[in-house]
Amino acid sequence: MSMLRTIKPKNARVKRALDKREPQLVENEKTAIFVRGQSTSEVVRNVMKDLYALKRPNAINFSRKNDIHPFEDTSSLEFFANKNDASLFVTGLHSKKRPHDLVLTRMFDGRVLDMIELGVDEFKGMSDFESPKSSVGVRPLMVFHSDLFDTHPTYQQLKSHLLDFYNGHAISEIPLIGGLEHVISITAGPVSDEIQLPKVHFRVYTVKLIGSGSKVPKLQLTEMGPSIDFTVRRIQEADEELLKMSMKRPKIAKSDIEKGLGKKKKNIETDQMGDKIGKIHLAKQDLGKMQGRKMKGLKLGKKTKSQTGETEGNVNGGGDI
Amino acid sequence: MDVTQELETFAAANSTAILERLNPVVTDAGLLAAFDNTPVDAEEYSSNLNPHLLALTLTSTQALIASLFTLPTKSSSSGPITLLPTPATVLPREKPLPKPKPPTKWERFAKAKGISHKKKEKDIWDEEKQDWVPRWGKGGKNREGEDQWLHEVKAGEDADLDPAKTAKNERKTRIAKNEKQHSANVAAASNSSAAAAASSTTGLSQEEKKSKRDLRKNELQRSMLISKTSTASLGRFDEKIQGEPKAKGVKRKFEPTVTDFKGEKSSALDVLKRLESGVGKVKKTKKGSSGEEGGLNVRKAVRFQGKQDRANGARPGDKKARRK
Repeated sequence: MSMLRTIKPKNARVKRALDKREPQLVENEKTAIFVRGQSTSEVVRNVMKDLYALKRPNAINFSRKNDIHPFEDTSSLEFFANKNDASLFVTGLHSKKRPHDLVLTRMFDGRVLDMIELGVDEFKGMSDFESPKSSVGVRPLMVFHSDLFDTHPTYQQLKSHLLDFYNGHAISEIPLIGGLEHVISITAGPVSDEIQLPKVHFRVYTVKLIGSGSKVPKLQLTEMGPSIDFTVRRIQEADEELLKMSMKRPKIAKSDIEKGLGKKKKNIETDQMGDKIGKIHLAKQDLGKMQGRKMKGLKLGKKTKSQTGETEGNVNGGGDI
Repeated sequence: MDVTQELETFAAANSTAILERLNPVVTDAGLLAAFDNTPVDAEEYSSNLNPHLLALTLTSTQALIASLFTLPTKSSSSGPITLLPTPATVLPREKPLPKPKPPTKWERFAKAKGISHKKKEKDIWDEEKQDWVPRWGKGGKNREGEDQWLHEVKAGEDADLDPAKTAKNERKTRIAKNEKQHSANVAAASNSSAAAAASSTTGLSQEEKKSKRDLRKNELQRSMLISKTSTASLGRFDEKIQGEPKAKGVKRKFEPTVTDFKGEKSSALDVLKRLESGVGKVKKTKKGSSGEEGGLNVRKAVRFQGKQDRANGARPGDKKARRK
């Protein structure tokens, strides 16, 4: 934070832009930065390219090399995060000790929350699959297989990381027909005596819904790529205090959420002519109580009023019997 | 359409590739995610990996789709839209929760006095023009006195008084005053937020260290002052030390002008109550009452007796003798 000078807004536009970067009650989608280290392999570069393609449009690709070693020094990541208002990082590295290295970093409040290092063992890119691809910005479905994602802390963190990366931003509504295009499948291998930390398989399939006669359609999956096999390497767990702070949820009334927290205006729309049209809902008018014309002759005296009341009561009573 | 494609579709629609799972697939519709917590079959995994992964994905995705299609929908011009519930999985936020804006000095005052906020419209009705005019800004009501072609000058005012200029000056001073108050509020808010940030972080921050140092320094200075005045001459003939703190008198403390309304009320009522009940009045000790020694103030009596003895020319020798 200290590295960046604090900007004093000089005009309203800059102020609005800065206000958007302030902590919000309902947050915007997290932006991911894809950054290369000093030396990278072609495999890592291609992996990053495909992960970037899946994350677009909420992703920034840094085309230059940067002297970054996330597990040794996080200052440059923090700098990039503040500069770009981003909180997710994919750092590509390659060394003799750790070939085809990928570091996923998550930030909270401009500081590193947790990190996980993955090694790429097998990779088949998106372009290697001759199949239709999902459109940009469509939200994927995500499925996780293996009990490890429920029990093993490292895999739990990996699950949280990947979920946060592609699906972290909660949406309130989605068109199911036409809104679902692909599914990201993450599977951890079985644990055996030799393998304590089994591989993680990252696969992406396009989803085609086929009418089955019932309400729930059947599926057809076609692999669209990328297909990556990861091994889990180093891990940096989140600071407990920081994690606790990041897990805090605002107390918002449900009615406020439904109203879109002032972002969406209900029943107001602009038509093609640019005219504002409002919709008003009124209760049905009770015509029985409507006041007719007042005349002296029609006025009910005190006596007659009570008499009519009685007679009405009698009539009603008779009706019931 | 290609025949092979149709065949594929048909095959998919009638496929029985859905696997049997030990534990049912857990779905989180809010995040469009599904979690299959059954361990992966080691045999299938090692023999044919990719088909098995596809089968697993198909199974869990089918479960997810099934849960999604049971959710409530709303209609729109482009087809039905499914309403998603709030996610069950809690993921960390990007930034901390926004802090509530600290109240300005006026807001604090208004709250204490129970003044409710009245929203001012930007435009106000001008009787003369019979039109709505802006309250401030270009052609605003607040600069009405500045652009009149004729001004009323009251009797006894300076001959060279320029009413337009005075009105403008007054407006400018109002703006300056408001800006000053605003900057004071901003400064107070940033101070309080900085203090809160310092206290929230684990470990001692620079400011915390400083405040602790100040606290210790104050304590040392106080004890030094006490020790200096503990001589018989109250430190009058002691040597001065370099940088010695000056003894400061006790400052009178006043209640702040702006306080809680309830507190003010209760303190005022307290005074009345005390007057009524007569707290602080010198109470006459009744004889035989449950005071000291049945209404007798022993200490006072002894003192009185001593005085009388001395007046009567008491002999100290006698006293000593008696004591022995």
